[in-house]
Parts: sequence; structure tokens; C-alpha cells
Amino acid sequence: MDRVVFESVRKVFRHRPALFNWLGRERSGETVALKNLSFAAGAGEVLILLGPNGSGKTTALKLVSTTLLPDAGSVHVSAFDTQREGGRVRQQVGIAIATERSFFPRLSARENLEFFAALDDVPRRECGSRVDEVLHDTGLAEQANTLVMKFSSGMYQRLGIARALVKRPNVLLLDEPTRSLDAATTAHFWTTIRSLADRHTTILLATHNFAEASAVGDRILLLQGGELLAERTIQRGQSVEDLRAFYFRMTGEVDEAAAMIERAGRVS
Amino acid sequence: MKSTLGKLYAILRRDLLTAIRHRTGFAVTAVGLLMELAAFYYLSRAIGPGFRPDGVEYFPFLLVGTGVYTFFVMSTQAFLTAVQEAQQTGTMEVLMTTSTPPAQLVVLSSVSAFAGNLVSLVAYLLLGAAIFRAPIHANLFSCFAVLILCIAIAMAVGIAAATIQITFQKGSALLWLLSSGVWFLSGAMFPIESLPRPLMLVAHTIPLSYAVRGMRLALLQGQSVLSMAPTLAALFGFSAILLPLALWGLSFSLRRARQNGTLSFY
Repeated sequence: MDRVVFESVRKVFRHRPALFNWLGRERSGETVALKNLSFAAGAGEVLILLGPNGSGKTTALKLVSTTLLPDAGSVHVSAFDTQREGGRVRQQVGIAIATERSFFPRLSARENLEFFAALDDVPRRECGSRVDEVLHDTGLAEQANTLVMKFSSGMYQRLGIARALVKRPNVLLLDEPTRSLDAATTAHFWTTIRSLADRHTTILLATHNFAEASAVGDRILLLQGGELLAERTIQRGQSVEDLRAFYFRMTGEVDEAAAMIERAGRVS
Repeated sequence: MKSTLGKLYAILRRDLLTAIRHRTGFAVTAVGLLMELAAFYYLSRAIGPGFRPDGVEYFPFLLVGTGVYTFFVMSTQAFLTAVQEAQQTGTMEVLMTTSTPPAQLVVLSSVSAFAGNLVSLVAYLLLGAAIFRAPIHANLFSCFAVLILCIAIAMAVGIAAATIQITFQKGSALLWLLSSGVWFLSGAMFPIESLPRPLMLVAHTIPLSYAVRGMRLALLQGQSVLSMAPTLAALFGFSAILLPLALWGLSFSLRRARQNGTLSFY
């Protein structure tokens, strides 16, 4: 059975200017973030959401987490409707968003994780071992007792991933999870992702990183302008260049980096 | 139940750890309390012993009135602060994706603020009695009854402020109204009977004026629950209407914010 199901989902953000708008230049209007999006992800699948900025990747993740609700269509997680059964959905889902600093700065990494674990109904007798496990998995074991106000952006990002993992969710939502991570931590994180998938966790991962998509993904959804542009299964060992070529061919964007690399090659 | 207690423990632990790591906080609060008491003591001395509102000396009248008023406003503010901080630090969206129902989260988050404000209120009253010799003739059971109902109403008003913050990002407007407009109608500083009749009628529609009056009756005159039944009934009526209404409003505003994508706007 599919774990995450989008059926004809539409999401619109409306902008209403503030009072006395003549003082500024704020415009009214609306942004259609998702247009009639339908897809499904099964248990143990790593689904990569790929697409240019503003294509609707983060909106899709937030719709699964229930921080957003659809304007039309439906989103189901483990057969629970996000509109009507939000509480049940939130028990299933863990989310980590890039560039996040959403922690209590005067608590240590461990104290923050214990706090969120309690809110996510992690049994107290298991809490310590689970926190140790995710601190180790994200390479934060040595900083466990450091106040997070002293963390670098990479460490914040690792802690965000640790928080998403500590509840052992059935559905894990990751938005550019390795954006600020160093190479070694990234590689270790990719291994963690694959082992979670092997244990039947469904993972929706939004990224701009083709290497990441190739390393951990089972399938790609390519979004553009809030619509599903293309869908593709990723074969194990599929080259990054393959994915890159697929992306630029489908989106119609110009791969300036490839042209630069080619030019550099000719010069040398 | 066990899960709720676990969550309450986690929230209290978070708030306590955060508070003790702000080392200067306690000292500043203690000095502030003493300064305020001294100001009211000398104000009542300047006015003289002839002024006996509700048949009691002016200093204890002020002590209880301002103590209850501060407790009420600070407790109300705790809800708004919790939401504003969550929005500004980015924890709002994450907290709203945890398994804890939002209304339960908001109510549990206020417990440590209520506990802290209660400690401040008791310290304020004890210091007033010990250092400035305010005569206290408390009926503890009546005090407890007033306090519980006062907490329920403060909770309702606090949740309403949090709701306004989530919906319009302007929850502070309600608190501004409380601290600037309502205080002089609450009877905290002088009896509401000295107001002009139209304002006196307005004062009788404000729950805080019943809380202030109830605490004075219980703490300064030692009245029993039975003898102050009308005041307690009014407080109960306000809390029975306002609390469910506020919880419904919060739930509605959170759903609307999820729909509009404005959960973390501030």
C-alpha cells in the first residue's frame, strides 16, 4: 500500500497588502505553488523531489507534515487524511528543513532532542538510547552537551535531522538535508538514509544535489512551476551526469556549468 | 495521562533550564518586586490613614490589587510570549508537527509561567506583609478558589492573545488594551465605586475586577467561600464561557494559518 498519496493537490498562497499600502509597494495577488499534483510513495521508498527554486518541493513536504493544508485535492499519509486526521498524520511524520535554527538556544543538543522526543510520545525508558543513537548517526555525539546557541550552521542542520529521526517516523521529510554538511558527514548521512529505507521508512527528499539524488534515491519527481514535469526511476549506480542531463533536458534550463567545464577543458 | 505528565515534565524542564541559564533574571525580578512595594508603601503613607477603601488600609488594598493585576497580566502575556518566541526562533512550525495536539501544547507551555508568576505573587504578598507590615487575615481556602478561577480566566485571555498573534500577528494589541485600558477599570489601584457610573458599569463586565475584589475579600477580610459566593459565581461564569471559546478560537486560527501558510509569520 502507498504510504504517501497526493491526489490532484492544488496550493495557492494569497498576498493581501497591509493597510496604508500607499506608503510602500507591496503587491496583492496570488502564487500558485502546486497545480493539480498527483503522486504516491510506497513503504521503504526514497522519493527525490527535484526542481528549480519555486517549483513546489518544500510546499509538497509541508503539505505532508500538515504545516500546510491543501486548497483542493487531498494528501493522505498511511491512509490518514491531512485535512481531517492531522493528529494521526503527525504521529507518522518527521521533518527536517534546511537552514533551520528552530531549537531552544539555551538547551544542549541532547536536552533539545529529549524535549522534542517527549512531545512526540517517545517512551521515557527508550528516550536516552534513541537520543544517543541519533546523535551518533548525525555525528553530534561529542557535542551532545553543548548549548545549541554555540552551534555552527552545519551542526544545526545535523541536529534538525537528528530531531526528525528520534521519533522513528514512518515517513521522513527532508528538505535539502545536506546543504551545509561536510563531505564525510554527507556520506554517512546517505548511508543512514538507505538503511532507514531498508527498514521500510518512506523518505521524501527535496534537493538540488544530483549526487545526492543518485546516491540515495529510488525515484525522481521533477517539478516545475508547481506541476509534475517528469518522473523517473533511478537505477543503482546511475551516473550523476545522466541525472543532470535529464534535469536540464526536461526543464529546458541552460546548463551553464557544463558549458564552463567544457570550455575549461578546451583551454587546458 | 502518563504521556501528558511526561510532556509537562519536558516543558517544565526546558523552561527551568532556560531560566537558570539567564543568570541575572531572578535577581532583577527580586529587586523589581521590592522597589514596587516600596513605591506603593510610600504612596499610601503620602495619601494618609484617612483613605480606607472597602474599609481596609490603603497599602494592603494596593498590595493585593496590584499583586493580582500583575499576576493576571504576566500570566496572560506568557501565552503570547510563547507563541511570539516560537515564531521568531522558527520552532512554531516544528512544534506544530509533533504528535502533541496544539491546544494541549499551548496549555502545557503556560504551566511554568503560571508557576513562576504564582511564586512571584506569593513572594510579593509575603514581602509586603513582612517588610511593610501589611495586615493579612487570609482564608486560604477562599484564596485558593479565587486563584484557580483567576488562572482559568487568565488562560482564556492569554489563549485569545495567542490566537490574535497567530491570525493577525498582533497579539500584543490585546495585552496593550489590558495593561493600558483595563487596569484602571479593574479596581487594582482604587475602588471601582469611585468611577463615574458608565465606567463603573463597564468595570463590572471585566473579569479582572472580580478577581481583584475576590482576592481582597479572601486575603484581607478572611471571608469564607460561602460569604463571597456571588463574586466566585461571577468568576466561574466568566471562565466557563471564555475558556472553551478561547480554545475553539485557537483551534480555528491554527487551521486557518495552516491553510494560508502563515503559521510562522510574525
